[in-house]
Amino acid sequence: MAALLRPARWLLRAGVAPRLPLSLRLFAGGPGRPHGVPGLPAARAGPVAGGLLNPARLYAIAAERKNDIQEELTSLRRTASQFDWALMRLDNSVRRTGRIPKRLLQKVFDNTCRSGTPGGNQALLLLRSCGSLLPELTLTERTEFAHRIWDKLQELGTVYDVSHYNALLKVYLQNEYKFSPTDFLAKMEETNIQPNRVTYQRLIAAYCNVGDIEGASKILGFMKTKDLPVTEAVFSALITGHARAGDMENAENILTVMKDAGIEPGPDTYLALLNAYAEKGDIDHVKQTLEKVGKSDLYLMDRDLLQLIFSFSKAGYPQYASEILEKITYERRYIPDAMNLILLLVTEKLEDTAFQILLACPISREDGLSDFGSFFLQHCVTMNTPVEKLTDYCRKLKEAQMHSSPLQFTLHCALLHNKADLAKALMKAMKEEGIPVRTHYFWPLLVEHQKKKNVQGIIEVLKGMHELGVEADQETYINYVFPSFESVKSVRTVLQENGCLPESSMFAQAELRSEAVNGNLEYILSFLKSNTLPFSFNSFRGSLILGFRRSMNIDLWSKITELLYKDGHYCQEPPGPTEAVGYFLYNLIDSMSDSEVQAKEERLRQYFHQLKEMNVKIPENIYRGIRNLLDSYHVPELIKDIYLLIDREKIDSRKTVQFTSSNLESTLERLKAENQPVGDVLKQLILMLCSEENMQKALELKAKYESDMVVGGYAALINLCCRHDNAEEALNLKQEFDRLDSSAVLNTGKYVGLVKVLGKHGKLQDAINILKEMKEKDVLIKDATVLSFFHILNGAALRGEIETVKQLHEAIVTLGLAKPSTNLSSPLVTVHLEKDDIPAALEATIDCFRKYKILPRIHDVLCKLIEKGETDLIQKAMDFVSQEQGEMMMLYDLFFAFLQTGNYKEAKKIIETPGIRARPARLKWFCDRCITNNQVETLEKLVELTQKLFECDRDHMYYNLLKIYKINGDWKRADAVWNKMQEENVIPREKTLRLLAEILRNSNQEVPFDVPELWYEDENDSQNSSLSTSPVENDLQKDVLKACQWKNNTDAYDIFLKAQEQNVVFKSKTYDTLIRLLLSKECLAEAMHVKDFAETHIKGFTLNDAANSLLIITQVRRDYLKEALTTLKTALDLKQIPSRVAVTRLIQAFALKGATEGIEEIQKMVNGLEDSIGLSNMVFINNIALAQIKNNNIDVAIENIENMLTSENQTVDPQYFGLAYLFRKVIEEQLEPAVEKISIMAERLANQFAVYKPVTDLFLQYVEAGKVDDARALLQRCGAIAEQIPIFMVFFVRNSRKPGKASTLQSLLGLIPELVEKEEAYTSLMKSYALDKDVTSAKALYEHLTEKNVKLNDLCLKRYALLLKNAGEPVPFPEPPETFEFYVKQLKESKENSL
Amino acid sequence: MAALAARSVVSLRRSVNRPVAFVRKIPWTAASSEMREHFAQFGHIRRCFLPFDKETGFHKGFGWVQFSTEEELQNALQQENHFIDGVKVNLPKVFHGDQTSDGEKDF
Repeated sequence: MAALLRPARWLLRAGVAPRLPLSLRLFAGGPGRPHGVPGLPAARAGPVAGGLLNPARLYAIAAERKNDIQEELTSLRRTASQFDWALMRLDNSVRRTGRIPKRLLQKVFDNTCRSGTPGGNQALLLLRSCGSLLPELTLTERTEFAHRIWDKLQELGTVYDVSHYNALLKVYLQNEYKFSPTDFLAKMEETNIQPNRVTYQRLIAAYCNVGDIEGASKILGFMKTKDLPVTEAVFSALITGHARAGDMENAENILTVMKDAGIEPGPDTYLALLNAYAEKGDIDHVKQTLEKVGKSDLYLMDRDLLQLIFSFSKAGYPQYASEILEKITYERRYIPDAMNLILLLVTEKLEDTAFQILLACPISREDGLSDFGSFFLQHCVTMNTPVEKLTDYCRKLKEAQMHSSPLQFTLHCALLHNKADLAKALMKAMKEEGIPVRTHYFWPLLVEHQKKKNVQGIIEVLKGMHELGVEADQETYINYVFPSFESVKSVRTVLQENGCLPESSMFAQAELRSEAVNGNLEYILSFLKSNTLPFSFNSFRGSLILGFRRSMNIDLWSKITELLYKDGHYCQEPPGPTEAVGYFLYNLIDSMSDSEVQAKEERLRQYFHQLKEMNVKIPENIYRGIRNLLDSYHVPELIKDIYLLIDREKIDSRKTVQFTSSNLESTLERLKAENQPVGDVLKQLILMLCSEENMQKALELKAKYESDMVVGGYAALINLCCRHDNAEEALNLKQEFDRLDSSAVLNTGKYVGLVKVLGKHGKLQDAINILKEMKEKDVLIKDATVLSFFHILNGAALRGEIETVKQLHEAIVTLGLAKPSTNLSSPLVTVHLEKDDIPAALEATIDCFRKYKILPRIHDVLCKLIEKGETDLIQKAMDFVSQEQGEMMMLYDLFFAFLQTGNYKEAKKIIETPGIRARPARLKWFCDRCITNNQVETLEKLVELTQKLFECDRDHMYYNLLKIYKINGDWKRADAVWNKMQEENVIPREKTLRLLAEILRNSNQEVPFDVPELWYEDENDSQNSSLSTSPVENDLQKDVLKACQWKNNTDAYDIFLKAQEQNVVFKSKTYDTLIRLLLSKECLAEAMHVKDFAETHIKGFTLNDAANSLLIITQVRRDYLKEALTTLKTALDLKQIPSRVAVTRLIQAFALKGATEGIEEIQKMVNGLEDSIGLSNMVFINNIALAQIKNNNIDVAIENIENMLTSENQTVDPQYFGLAYLFRKVIEEQLEPAVEKISIMAERLANQFAVYKPVTDLFLQYVEAGKVDDARALLQRCGAIAEQIPIFMVFFVRNSRKPGKASTLQSLLGLIPELVEKEEAYTSLMKSYALDKDVTSAKALYEHLTEKNVKLNDLCLKRYALLLKNAGEPVPFPEPPETFEFYVKQLKESKENSL
Repeated sequence: MAALAARSVVSLRRSVNRPVAFVRKIPWTAASSEMREHFAQFGHIRRCFLPFDKETGFHKGFGWVQFSTEEELQNALQQENHFIDGVKVNLPKVFHGDQTSDGEKDF
């Protein structure tokens, strides 16, 4: 075996470093050098990218802090996740764009404040973000921000330590903030915080930044007395210090001093020196120094050079920027750093240099799709860069093909910032460049004036439009001009006075439309009568419909319609008035909702009759359209009235005849006897026989009536024969079918059935012909089809039919019917494995790779080879794999194969190969395989052998081991794992500990550690500890506990009674357990009895939190609300934290009783404990409102809610203002008036205040309650609901957790179909189907999505695969190999990364 | 006015059967006429709706196009990329409940 390892070793020795990513990983820790960490030298602490947060470092802090947190109480969990969220957002922003936008930091800050008392790590994160990561803010603004954060967090109770002070110092340095270092030290001392080395270093830097060498020396003295080491950072600072004091000679001398002190100058030292030269504009020295550094083994990064550019530019030497730019190597991390610098330069009003750097950015310009430079333009707009410069930048960006539409983008920014002059100038530039200037570009400007009712401003904009040759259209007038005037008439006057009334009919049309919208039909009638302008009906049909619907004056309806019909002026265009008016009527009705038509039925009838009298006619086809509409609106009564208007007559109705099954055959014979056509009946009969699986009879029938057979009958028969494995007959039928109609196409399933049966019966060529036909006739290939192909092939493979497998596979793949996936191709290997011909199997695998780049069943092949000791072949396989897929893959393949075959020594050698590192996905694949096949020893070996594996997640390995022990109920080995983990110094995750505890408990073993509880779990777990009382008591006590454990309340209670008789008193914990069991079984009386007994026999006996909570729940269920309230009070007095469920139930019970006071009392009682209980303010808001509604105070309830949502100081963020519970209850309880008023409120909030959460919640409640029509109507009234994607996504995710919710989700999708493409939506739906074991729907969903080319994530696929497998159906794709948890995690990570 | 907008959407999407395409990520420079112009290549546009936010004067980046026939809609949906004003817009394929595709009818 050792020979086997040689190639692996050789490969690794020869090419490790460059070929394996290992060497990189060893230095991992992010792109920065180690100096990025605490003692960041002063020179690099300048405001440029040097101070960028190093992401790896951020995570390191996160990890440290998180560990601390885990020790603490569960209430901190929220803080922890809040921290993770904040970290992720900020870190992502920095990594992608080199900065943190102010808005984002503000948002994170606000959220942090809202979460209560922000932890130290959160404070650190926020403070560190206030320096160079805010290049868009001026230096002063940044420091102000830092101070605001500092003060606010202190106010909120955050405790600062030295790390916070150091972070603040760093921010000061980055922001060049002038402060007194001695005062700073004094302030620290006041709060009893000891400065450390980092503090001193930064203070020295602070002095040096202002050239105060004396001050720096003073601090240096401090450091010396404290025996703190003087580091490179201090020397670098001193270089800056001397240079800024004007003493370049001494600055240069520092290098010598350093060397004398035994410290080699590093890149930071040189950077300090370089910056010093740059600030003097000394390009020669800069070049010399760069050259010197270049020759040494030191290396300056791009971000260092960028800083140099900044130093030059800021000192007034922008001309040298290009020389430095030339030296930039454009490392991978360059872009974000460059973005940071560009923005900073713009902030410093050095936009020309900024632009120079921007143009030099290495951006791929080929696709022309991705624009680069928007951030620059945007910031220029914010910083009021002159328009001439901006247009020049835009032109150059466009020329450089960096940005496809820079002017438009800049205009967008100008409009967003309401910079009207800039916007106008830009539009002028656009016009000159031949870029269209569109009407709606002016709307944002008009909106601003409209908000202030600034008529003059509006006129100015209109004039501006005119100057640019843009004509205001109807919408401009109606939406953005008219609202600022008292009446439409006054607009006309004012526009006329200002000479901007257009000559075209546009204004008149706008007027007409505006009046129509207000339902002013009289105006419309008189306008139409007097109008002389050319005006097409089309242009105002929409307005007219609105007007009609707003006015109930049927006479006017009719008069207007008649005018339009007869005037000729309006319906000149070809189809003529009949068509035009007919179409108008159709549109009118179409635009109304069903309820509206129902309500206006009588008026519509009147209208139709009046039209009839006026002799207005409509074409028949339009009549039919209207008829269908009326039908769908459930007002068929109106059909006869509209019927009157038809131009012609006669509609023939179709009649349908249905045959019953029993008399089909006789009918057939009768028809035949009468010499009538029998085709249809014959087909029906054959279909019926097929469904009865009566092949014999069906074939006889076919023979008898051969000449009357139709295509459909054959299709059914073919399928029947395939099902009955009758290849001969199926083939015959297929040939007859082709003779009948050679162009006819069977459906996919039938073709597949044919291929299967023909292949199985050795009719290989026929089978291939069928496949060819499928291709020729372009038969729809679905995933299920591909899966069927696999089964056909696999079936043949298991039968050992090499040729069949080969030829069919070849045909399928070359015809392009299916892609040669690993799964589809595995039968090619299987067939040899089945025959135990391993060399052939290997050859087949390798062949697959050559042809299709896949390696089916390589693991199995390798295992077999090892079992047989085929050294040469293994060598061959390995050479091949490592050549094609890399050494690492090969090593893992080999490792697993050795493990699988029990060759542990060899496996060990492999996994100890230098350079190999953990591949979590592969390890997990093998772990899962072991667990599924219950290979305990193999898994144990895996865990053992990977102990030293680089980056191996040990906790996770042990977790897998525990999983397999749990399956086998092996607590002893599980216990041994616990010890091994300690030996190995592995810190177990909570889930590992919980799993271990579960195994031990299940085997009645003591759990030797504190089990972390899941915060959401009910604390129902009965914990029993060993007892040391008298034997009798002990026995009885044990029995009670045992009964409790088995949840046998009757037995437990009986034992308790027995003990009571014998006057045996248990430990209080036992009573507690018993009471909880009784309560959970709804035995309130018994529970109370036990409680009384315990209280009288054990001094100070009180129920614990969990028992009290249960008691409350039971009391609520029994409707003893007063008692429940007392229990709650007792519990709270005992400083207990009742469960959220208990408190919520009680509140809800009060609400349903309309007892507002009860709820308010609870609110008072739990005041301050909401967070510990986990009670949202919304519980109170919902239930108080419900109580009020129950008391018929609907208006009060609604007013309260509206006030909360629209007032200035909102207590709850509108997006979290969930009223779902309230809505559900009023719907459930059928409180119709309340439902109506609530609906109105929700719509009002949406339409007037843009608060969409309530209306969306209501909508969802309708959906949940199955009131799809109501939901639809609501959606129709408030289209914005469809945009509340996040709310829907939460809805999907939540509902998918409960079984039986698939139909709800489906009806939601029915209403808003586009949701299904959202990942959360389809994953949830799939989950729902999986929960309901609804294979059919899942299939439909899967097919739909694949058809639409939606790429399903692995989790969803896994779920679907499992569903299919459990249902015994084939899986049409390679099932994702990892576990659910893996994909859940993967998904989570990918989501975080994509944010 | 808001009601007007809502109505238009409603009438566009009231019936699932109507050949309506939902268009997202429409660049701010385009108005409904640009949308119409682009989609006219796939068939006759019956209605084109791009809601504007009356608070900002910008549209919201999404809109609806109603074609005359399902076939025209499919034409549009089948085209992989759609560019309006040089910007790639997004046409999510609409989910039609549990209907089975036509090719599936057994015979």
